[in-house]
Amino acid sequence: MSITLDQVTKRYQGLPVVNDVSLDIGDGEFFVLLGPSGSGKSTLLRAIAGLAGVDHGRIALHGRDVTHVSAKERGVGLVFQNYALFRHMTVADNIEFALRVRRMKGAERRQRRQELLRLVSLEGMDERLPAQLSGGQQQRVAVARALAHKPEVLLLDEPFGALDAKIREELRRTIRQVQRELGITTVLVTHDQEEAFALADRIGVMNLGRLLELGKPQELYARPATRFVATFLGAANLILARQTRDGIRFGKTAVNASAAGPLQGSRDHEVVAVVRPEEIEIAPTREDLASGYLTRGAVEEIVFTGALERMRIRIEDGQEAAPLSNGNGNGSAFLEVTRTQHEQRAFQISNGQHVAIGVRRIHILPTPLSSFTTCATTESLAEALVQQPLLAELASRMKTRISTRVEPKLGMPGANCEGAPEFSGTTVIAAHSEVVYQAQWLLKMGAEEILVLPQNASPPQRVLIHWADEAVRRATLAVSASILRHVSAEAIYIGILPQQTPAAQRPHGMRALLDARSEAQAVHGLEMRTELRFGDVSHELARQLGELAGQMLILGIRGHADLPERFGSLFAESRWPVLIVHRQHDSPAGQAGQAYQAGQA
Amino acid sequence: MAAIKQPSVLPGFGLTFGFTTFFLSAVVLIPLAALVLMAASMTWHDFVRVVFSARAMGSYRLSFGASFLAASINLVFGFIIAWTLVRYEFPGRKLIDALIDMPFALPTAVSGIALTTVFAENGWIGQYLQPLGIKVAYTWIGVTVALTLIGLPFAVRSVQPALLEVQRDLEDAAETLGAGRLYVFRRIILPTVLPALLTGFTLAFARAVGEYGSVIFIAGNLPMKTEITPLLIVIRLEEFDYKGAAALGFVMLVISFVVLLMINLLQAWGRRRIVAGAR
Repeated sequence: MSITLDQVTKRYQGLPVVNDVSLDIGDGEFFVLLGPSGSGKSTLLRAIAGLAGVDHGRIALHGRDVTHVSAKERGVGLVFQNYALFRHMTVADNIEFALRVRRMKGAERRQRRQELLRLVSLEGMDERLPAQLSGGQQQRVAVARALAHKPEVLLLDEPFGALDAKIREELRRTIRQVQRELGITTVLVTHDQEEAFALADRIGVMNLGRLLELGKPQELYARPATRFVATFLGAANLILARQTRDGIRFGKTAVNASAAGPLQGSRDHEVVAVVRPEEIEIAPTREDLASGYLTRGAVEEIVFTGALERMRIRIEDGQEAAPLSNGNGNGSAFLEVTRTQHEQRAFQISNGQHVAIGVRRIHILPTPLSSFTTCATTESLAEALVQQPLLAELASRMKTRISTRVEPKLGMPGANCEGAPEFSGTTVIAAHSEVVYQAQWLLKMGAEEILVLPQNASPPQRVLIHWADEAVRRATLAVSASILRHVSAEAIYIGILPQQTPAAQRPHGMRALLDARSEAQAVHGLEMRTELRFGDVSHELARQLGELAGQMLILGIRGHADLPERFGSLFAESRWPVLIVHRQHDSPAGQAGQAYQAGQA
Repeated sequence: MAAIKQPSVLPGFGLTFGFTTFFLSAVVLIPLAALVLMAASMTWHDFVRVVFSARAMGSYRLSFGASFLAASINLVFGFIIAWTLVRYEFPGRKLIDALIDMPFALPTAVSGIALTTVFAENGWIGQYLQPLGIKVAYTWIGVTVALTLIGLPFAVRSVQPALLEVQRDLEDAAETLGAGRLYVFRRIILPTVLPALLTGFTLAFARAVGEYGSVIFIAGNLPMKTEITPLLIVIRLEEFDYKGAAALGFVMLVISFVVLLMINLLQAWGRRRIVAGAR
């Protein structure tokens, strides 16, 4: 391995900017770190270069631990967005800078300089000053300068950011060529997915300081595991659907099984489907569609972009298949569609026209958190919950929908629910002293995830994870991973053994803890700390939660009969948000797990 | 003409250029010409006698020597102060930043009296320097201290914006290329801020040469020892020797002009190296 990062964490004013990132980059690989601004990608690159220290974790270059080695001694080449050329030096002096520092002889220096100038196609520019060169040429000089001392690793921090499209394209080709010719391990940081696709052997997508997913460009695009990656890598329509024993259903419409590919798990539950704009087919009537019918719609907007035609279609078939979002933030009932010239010729359309919509390919996200439904005894109480900051923030970051549900008999023993028999996504209820009975009632009615929300809770800085039964480990980890991808918080798994655990059994508890941790990392890419405690479970959890403000608990349980007795005290105070993950039976193969590994392969 | 003319916010090249010449003439050129004329009305013999008298020579040495020394001190410490203000975030930074300008605002006589009080043999600082055999007030050292004080803001304010321009990236780039701190300072930072440093030096020097108010209090004004040229000129005026005063003024004018011109040329050369060909 050329570059190995092990649980690298960098905090800024107490908040993690780079959060538990572990990564292996192979010899000669071109790796692209992709993420929006503020995702921590540049900080991570600076940490690899040695320009920013890390607070936790290890960095190794070619097997040599360099965590505490200064940038000067690391011997990496770094290229900056604004070139960072020494303006008072000629091109020759700039390129020879690293060689002069190493006291290389004049003749050798000149020879190396000529080699490098040829490599970046700038022969004969030796005596120019940076100010006499164009932006693209300046960046070529910067690349040559960074390569002068034959570094083992080349790091590029948004190198094309300041250039216009044509030059960018050209320089991109040069960099790829140089990288191939030298076979040098390269890490490039960018926020431009097109650039990432064009250059990368492998892409790592970062958001909120976490490395969300990594994989080959084609695989990440076709089978993202998270909403963020799905919408950040190109346009995507996120649609809420239902997975049943027979396949995927949008409202009442069952979708052609072949479009969705193999499904994981057999549990009947709400899922998030990704439909790429180019996978949508449009025809005058349902019968003309070559692919599976989805819904009907009216064309609202057509934009000609050259090779492709881009349009927005308003869904007309009621609530049957309401998209969550198409990645542009407008969450209403619009589908984003693109068509090729060929498709345009086959079926000419105009604004306002009514069409039938079909899908050629659907990808189901393995995330267990699809949408939120606030539940209360009256409509106004349920509406008030929607406004709660933590929920609003989570929903907007997850680009998902919050609906409301009124249950007048919420929590009443013996009463049945009055809404739809199916519970979709995560049910949200307000915290109060008796909330545990409402939670129990909802679990009995079939809810699987329940978020108990105290008044004015804000996104947590720390998430505690605990499951009361090994059988719900997978489900709890999957939910935790999903939550933690959307908040910048550190995750701590707390294992609790009874006080009187015999000494001989304690190593067993420790092993369970470490197993859980490696599963979280391998399956979900989730790094978490582990702590082993002894004592009463709810007492220990309450103690830990009470220590510090800004914490949240994710609690996995199996069976709800003894919920009030075992965990009642955790809910009584209503000071922290609790997310209950409940499963009667845990599916043998964690569904999130398979998809993630598929993305990695 | 068309080549010189360029569109701008203010109307008419002719008008603005006219104002420039008129203003410069009225405020700078004509008074200076009067000075030269006055000096020129002397006989050559008289002129040489006044200008090269031992007392005058001593005052030149002190005036230009102390100014040069003060400007050099300001060059070093001004840079350090500007560096601290630009690169570090600390409580009271704004306050220190404001303090830098105090010498601009203070009447020079006030700073002179304050310095004398502090550096006199029984003053706050003077009393500790006395046993070490260092006399500040009423010696050339006192003159230098006064000139350093009034020149400091010029040095700091010239370097500050230039330091802001030195991007961290440049230092980071040099570091990843294997350069140590001293090397980075010598080869990257210093060359980049050199023009600004020279400007600061020039301004501080020019100001020091012309300074009068603060120096006369701390200098003691012994002829040949601690008498600066401006003071000598005032003494000549008080003796109604206008021509002698004009002659001395003329010499100051010539020396100052030559020094400033040299520094400006040096600076222009340095700047050309950096922005050559830009736009």
